Amino acid sequence: MARKSTFLLLTPGLFVTGAVFLSPFAFLALTSFWTQRPNSLLVDPAFTLVNYVRIATDMFFLRVLFHTIYLGVITVLVCLVLGLPIARWIARRAVVSRGILVVLIVTPMVSGAVVQTLGLVNLLSLLGVINGLLKQLGLIDRSIRFLGDELGVLIGLVQAFLPLMVLPLLNTMSKLPEDLESAARSLGAPAWRLWMLVILPLSMPGIIAGSVLVFFASVTSFVTPQILGQGRIQTFGTVMYQQSALVNDWPFASALAVTMMVLLGGLVLALRAIRQRLARRSNVAGAV
Amino acid sequence: MKLRRAAIDTVWIAWMAIGYIVVLMPIVVVFFASFSDGNTFRFPPSGFSLKWYQAAFESSEYRNALSVSLLVGILATLVSLTAGTLAAYALSRSTFRGKTMIETLLLAPLALPHIVWAIGLLQIYAWLSIGGTLLGLVLAHAALTLPFAVRIMLSTFSQLDKTLQDAATTLGASPMRVVVHIVLPLIWPGVLTSALFTFLTSFNEVTVSVLIAGSRYLTYPVRLYSELRSQGIDPTTIAISAMLVAMIIVFALIGERFLNWSRRV
Repeated sequence: MARKSTFLLLTPGLFVTGAVFLSPFAFLALTSFWTQRPNSLLVDPAFTLVNYVRIATDMFFLRVLFHTIYLGVITVLVCLVLGLPIARWIARRAVVSRGILVVLIVTPMVSGAVVQTLGLVNLLSLLGVINGLLKQLGLIDRSIRFLGDELGVLIGLVQAFLPLMVLPLLNTMSKLPEDLESAARSLGAPAWRLWMLVILPLSMPGIIAGSVLVFFASVTSFVTPQILGQGRIQTFGTVMYQQSALVNDWPFASALAVTMMVLLGGLVLALRAIRQRLARRSNVAGAV
Repeated sequence: MKLRRAAIDTVWIAWMAIGYIVVLMPIVVVFFASFSDGNTFRFPPSGFSLKWYQAAFESSEYRNALSVSLLVGILATLVSLTAGTLAAYALSRSTFRGKTMIETLLLAPLALPHIVWAIGLLQIYAWLSIGGTLLGLVLAHAALTLPFAVRIMLSTFSQLDKTLQDAATTLGASPMRVVVHIVLPLIWPGVLTSALFTFLTSFNEVTVSVLIAGSRYLTYPVRLYSELRSQGIDPTTIAISAMLVAMIIVFALIGERFLNWSRRV
């Protein structure tokens, strides 16, 4: 294909990605060094580090940051604990039910985030399904408060992002060579050793990919903490939203957004370094 | 030994069931709640009624929100499908320096956090004064959905046998004729898949839309979101949501059965 027509065909896509998707990131980086004039909608475009100093020194934002990371880590761990058995079963045991099990796990991904949240509010509210069920069974006599509580937000995050963990896990675990496992088993390895020494190490690429996806999705999520947290649980996403849409301090919201991007970017680079080191070590081990 | 094996399987399945229950419960509850006859959904359900479905079809307010969603979804699909198909064709049919970079660039919206993007987009839209307009919403949704179209079309074109096109050209067919008679008939399953995927992503989008939607173009998810925010759930929305999810599931099953969705995406 001629160079000119290639370029022509790429233009609409590059325009949409460049002008609509990438330019806001550049704009954020710029406005994060500006300030909002008090009591006005105008910004003061003089270079200043004030916003970043505020993020780094204000205990409120630091606490929100740590809390967001904490929620992300717990979500990843719960998703791993629930996702590993599901992925393993679909990869090894399910034959007839494989298709339906995969479809069921991805259903929430295609049916929309707000509808899920609507269902969760029905489930978790004080007079909701879970509290009703627990009372009916005589397990509790006062309703448990899920909404506006960390527990409710965590349930929502796990519900929304478990599919993001299962899919990469399934992808890796379906490819594990079966003869390695049967070798370990015939040499007398009990199930837990098989998992610790064979299955988990070989599934590492899927575990890392799934964990990264779930962590990213939960620390940047906004609808789930906003609705299930009912304003009482603050995360980076909800604080960014408040600063931009409610407080109208856009430069500060920009600085928060840039901070989040930098932290996530740093995490990606760190993971890449770890992966390279692991790969090198396994090469050395292979050579020996 | 056999007994032990069965016991392990039972525990295993029970553990898996927890995951499935957590993931599917919200949708199931929406379905049950939509048939409730009370104003709020309680457990155990008090009685069966179709009145919220009736209310759903009578409410002009929700009809408006749904038609905005439909309009934005269709326009965004047209934009991102066209741009995505052309770009994927160019990428799969030529080699040039920086090709990988352009591919990564086009797929970037999949990896970058939407909430961060939305904060920047909101400011640019305010500056260009297209915040809350139809154009603004469509452009935002097109940018968000473009990577899906690009990715699905890239894999579609990679499966397209190039010799067929060459043969047609050698036999004297014009480029237009080749596209209409050879390329399009072979790629339509991919086009349909990316169209439906793009549309659904746009139709369900909420994070970005909440920030940039004005009062004139409120999509259905944004309406639902503000309702959930203000703590009052109108049972009508439960009925509408139940119908939407049912439709989406039917679409997904048809797509899986006839177009092998799970292998294309």
